[in-house]
Amino acid sequence: MKWFGALLIVFTLTWLGYEWSKKLEQRPQLIRVLKSSLQILEAEIVYSQASIMEACHNISQQIPSPVSGFFRQVAQQLKHEPISLYDIWDKETDRFCHSVFLSSEEKEIMKQFGRTLGQHDIVQQQKYIQLALTHLDRKLKEAEDMNYRYGKMVKSLGLLAGLFLAILLL
Amino acid sequence: MIGDTSILFQIAGIGIIVAMIHTILKQMGKEEYAQFVSLVGFIIVLLFVLNSISDLFQEIRSVFFYKG
Repeated sequence: MKWFGALLIVFTLTWLGYEWSKKLEQRPQLIRVLKSSLQILEAEIVYSQASIMEACHNISQQIPSPVSGFFRQVAQQLKHEPISLYDIWDKETDRFCHSVFLSSEEKEIMKQFGRTLGQHDIVQQQKYIQLALTHLDRKLKEAEDMNYRYGKMVKSLGLLAGLFLAILLL
Repeated sequence: MIGDTSILFQIAGIGIIVAMIHTILKQMGKEEYAQFVSLVGFIIVLLFVLNSISDLFQEIRSVFFYKG
């Protein structure tokens, strides 16, 4: 029974470390998808001159799962609720960042971007998209660096912490 | 002479694992955390052997002063 408990502790902490490293891996991927979705948005606005609702709908069909849900929600809410775009964008960004592993800085970048969305003409809007892309680029580099530095450490640290606690309580 | 050997193995295990954590943290450039972990490990081991050390002092006092 004692050994069973010790194994359980080791297993749980190893798993925690593994989950954490998975989150670290996920963050740069998410930022990359966000970047490509903003690029699609730029193309939709500048070249096909689509409305935000159509653009969001198109984006949601072109990009992979967690981010596409965000754009689908925005498009649907725009269709059904007559409140301002910024309120919808703000609410959905909050909900999206709550469900995935993104830091508050990325959230702030997306919110700032949402504040400019639909307020300007095409040329200005393109500039704002470029600005958001530059910010996201910086964050992407940061996230990749974090993953490279701490990814492996977190995994082995989980296992070691588990062994440590097990020996301590034995 | 030594009543219970399991505490020795326990302390050895703690030492090995603390040393490994220290190495990993140091390798990743977190020296301050590494020092902190070592310190915490040392304190935990000290708490483990507190009773034995107090026994030892009692023993020494009874040897030299005849009244413990």
